[in-house]
Amino acid sequence: MEERNVIGVYHLTKKYGDQYALKDVNLQVGNGEFVFLVGPSGAGKSTLLRLIYMDEFPTDGQVVAGSFVSTTVDRKKIPYLRRKIGVIFQDFKLLEDRDVFENVAIAMRVTGEKSYEIKKLVIHILTQVGLYHKRNDLPRKLSGGEQQRVAIARAIVNRPAILLADEPTGNLDPDVTEEILRLLFRINSGGTAVLMATHNLSLVENFGQRIVHLKDGIIHEDRLTGLGGNPSDKLSEYRWNRKRLDKQETTGELR
Amino acid sequence: MSVHQLLYLIKESFRTIKRHKGVTAISIIIMSLTLLILAVFLLVTDNMLMFMSQAREEMRIYVYLEDSLDRSVIEDYHRRILSMLEVEQVVFISKEEALLEFREELGEESDLLDALDTNPLPASFRIALKSAYKDKNKIELFASKVGGLEGVEEVRYGKDFLEKFSTIMKGFLYVDAFIGIVVILSTIFIISNAVRLSVVSRKRSIEILKLVGATNRFITTPFIFEGALQGGIASFIAMAMLFFIFLVGVKFLPELSFFSPEKAFAFILLCVLIGSAGSFTALRRFLRA
Repeated sequence: MEERNVIGVYHLTKKYGDQYALKDVNLQVGNGEFVFLVGPSGAGKSTLLRLIYMDEFPTDGQVVAGSFVSTTVDRKKIPYLRRKIGVIFQDFKLLEDRDVFENVAIAMRVTGEKSYEIKKLVIHILTQVGLYHKRNDLPRKLSGGEQQRVAIARAIVNRPAILLADEPTGNLDPDVTEEILRLLFRINSGGTAVLMATHNLSLVENFGQRIVHLKDGIIHEDRLTGLGGNPSDKLSEYRWNRKRLDKQETTGELR
Repeated sequence: MSVHQLLYLIKESFRTIKRHKGVTAISIIIMSLTLLILAVFLLVTDNMLMFMSQAREEMRIYVYLEDSLDRSVIEDYHRRILSMLEVEQVVFISKEEALLEFREELGEESDLLDALDTNPLPASFRIALKSAYKDKNKIELFASKVGGLEGVEEVRYGKDFLEKFSTIMKGFLYVDAFIGIVVILSTIFIISNAVRLSVVSRKRSIEILKLVGATNRFITTPFIFEGALQGGIASFIAMAMLFFIFLVGVKFLPELSFFSPEKAFAFILLCVLIGSAGSFTALRRFLRA
């Protein structure tokens, strides 16, 4: 039986003026799949993600996210799409004037959920990401990794089918990067499809996941690395690789 | 929108006002100064209109009668005038009563009248017209009708004054309406700009709310509520400032009067509406972009 796709991108072209940001891009992400979207900055990764959560619309072609189709969607219904897609960013995008609890709760408040339900679920999610004890802190009091975990908690609190991550580890040091990746893998193992954009190929190439290479708005390669399998098992491999890379950097040795 | 969502948003508006005290204070100050200008304009208009309607109200037509007229003819005239469509009230003033009134008007100098052998003042009818007939042309028509009666010496109604008064009134209404439109438009413009200031200062929050799936209504409701609240507070401050200005003004012009409580309340209500409408328009432009 064919697995249903949660994201479908068909002959997608996006132009800004005369400039092509994306050119005839085709990409399908299956239900519960984990995909790395890799490419240098300016390759069109963020644009592609924005088109998927329908912050922007294609110049040509079509994007399907869940049951929402870019060519036919009623713009007034887009908030309902956003509740089915979690998005996280390099700069976290937290509400600076609200505490950790409210930053997660807001994603449920907009749906009109009852306070009691909100409290129950937010506490549950905060415990999962290990930030329950910091629920009353303002974001500026948290480290980068903690802020990203708050953003992740907010992204998954409505149990979305899709999690989009735009350079989620771009501002974080290696230890924290690993922690965030582990969290994303765990969310993925719960059945949420994850599409993570990064410019850092060496970070992701050893997890045995599908990697899509984007360059100058065109998909150059779409391959499954390694043998697939459980990515969490690959984290130890990643850790080993990182040590090797660190050593190379300090010794100046080329790989 | 569910009830608990609405409650959350109202609570949220108060929290936002507390969090953004600076921006809120500035926009309330801008709003109260703008609304003060509007309030001054409205108070001046209100006083002018009241003065005009009072002047109209007090306008009387005097019909002076020849001394030779019989009492029975006078009574007949009285009845005939009273039955005319235009007439609200007719008072007959005999020669003696006229003299008495004149004496009262003269006050201390009334002894001057003692030098007179005969009463030189004529008897008269003092006629109040129904307000629908207090128009220059209709008064003229009425005056000529009454003036045509046998034994009527003269009909007086301040023709020159009436002409001047109606030209001034027309002019005033035109100028007033023009100023009014300009003041109201600039009030809305300034207020929606003040609101935009606070919208822009919360641009990031709005983007995040859109990202997590907030509907436009969820985003706009607290702003509209805040706009209404700010409009209410600002109009209250403007009213208070206007009252102080009025207290000074009334020393020079004792005839001035302040807004009636109903009018003051209507003004505050209007400002609440202007505040929320300003928020709404400022946000709509922002959310579309």
